[in-house]
Amino acid sequence: MTSLLNQLNPSIKAFTVILLVCLLTFVFDPFTPLVYCLFTILLTFVCGKIAWKRYMLYFLIIILLSVGMLWTTLAFADEPNRPHDTMEILFWDIPKEDVTVALALTLRMLAFASLSFMFIFTTNMVHFILSLMQQCKLSPKLAYGVLAGYRFLPLMKDELNQIRAAHQIRGVRRANGIKESIQQYKRYAIPLLAGAIRKAERTAVAMESKGFSGERQRTFYRTFTVKWQDWTFLVGMLLLFFIIIMISIKLGYFSWYKGQF
Amino acid sequence: MNNWKLKEIIVMSVLSVVFGIVYLAFLPIGKILVSFMGPIGYDFIFGIWFIVSIIAAYIIRKPGAAFLSETIAATVEMLLGNAMGPIIIITGIIQGLGAEAAFALTKWKRYSLWVLMLAGVGAAIFSFVWGYFRSGYAALSTPYILGMLCIRMISGAIISGLLGKAISDSLAKTGVLSSFALGKQIRKERSAS
Repeated sequence: MTSLLNQLNPSIKAFTVILLVCLLTFVFDPFTPLVYCLFTILLTFVCGKIAWKRYMLYFLIIILLSVGMLWTTLAFADEPNRPHDTMEILFWDIPKEDVTVALALTLRMLAFASLSFMFIFTTNMVHFILSLMQQCKLSPKLAYGVLAGYRFLPLMKDELNQIRAAHQIRGVRRANGIKESIQQYKRYAIPLLAGAIRKAERTAVAMESKGFSGERQRTFYRTFTVKWQDWTFLVGMLLLFFIIIMISIKLGYFSWYKGQF
Repeated sequence: MNNWKLKEIIVMSVLSVVFGIVYLAFLPIGKILVSFMGPIGYDFIFGIWFIVSIIAAYIIRKPGAAFLSETIAATVEMLLGNAMGPIIIITGIIQGLGAEAAFALTKWKRYSLWVLMLAGVGAAIFSFVWGYFRSGYAALSTPYILGMLCIRMISGAIISGLLGKAISDSLAKTGVLSSFALGKQIRKERSAS
């Protein structure tokens, strides 16, 4: 098992995934997204170093959701063009066209998910933002602002526990019923947000007093570059997509999204 | 970005991160509604997913606040594990643009309740057009699609506009926003009356 995917440039990886998701949006048959999805999962397993158990769990959730989506698309489908061309699933006559559309949509969602997971599970959040700053010219003010905000998350969890304890010690009783629990949410949310805003202000002052000017001309401790591997990945993923489309045209499955439904 | 103060940027980022989590937390609620009612289930609570653009724009009152905050919130949502992945950034960008469009109409000068509700509706319309192409709403029947759009617009106006304003106002009452546009306006109103 290698960690090739983990070492790719995060910006290029994100760009590849977004590009492919956009391309997949135009495909409207069940075969192409299914094959692409399987290849992406295979690639993630072979070339990525990831948390397997979490990956499986996430995918399981997605599969459950897509079954729900399959059902809703079938149940609320538009009038088909050829209503008499039906097939029977569990004693239920459904127009064949609707089944194809529903399957296409569902498998497309699975293909999107496999691409996204390939990105999320092999990318470090801090590296991604640093790379966005270095490759995509994201403003350092914004980038470091987001990093600071992200860092607040674990702190806010502690703070929530503190607020809860403070309420308890002063004898605020547990909420009963919907109205009281809404009030309780408000009692927690406003102090939590207010505390976060205060902390954000202090962080900004601290950053400025240490000489952070937000200028684009700056140096980085960790530098990210685009290497030939990154371009190979981008081109390879695109090639794979087009090869699968070719195969699917050959087999007669393929159809573009032509706004037909 | 140059006329933004650093503290405004960080406060906006913190709000975005917090609401990125709220967005993620509301997804399963949406899923439950959807499994009862079909795709329309999401639309009842869709307004929650625009709320940070309204809050950030109302507090900071600078061009781009609505757009940037929604985009960051979507990015955070993705990084924390939304199944839609990087595509959700595009969704966030589009929703943010919808809210920003409403503020742009007033040249970023007016932040009354109506403008905030309009921003919610704007985000709803933009997100609907995007959803139409991406999630294949086209496969659904026309009256159903129209129903979805109407409910989403109402949800945008009420949940993101009304609730967003209420949250920001209660935050301003605590005094933490005194150096931001919203806090300054409230202080001015108080000294005038």
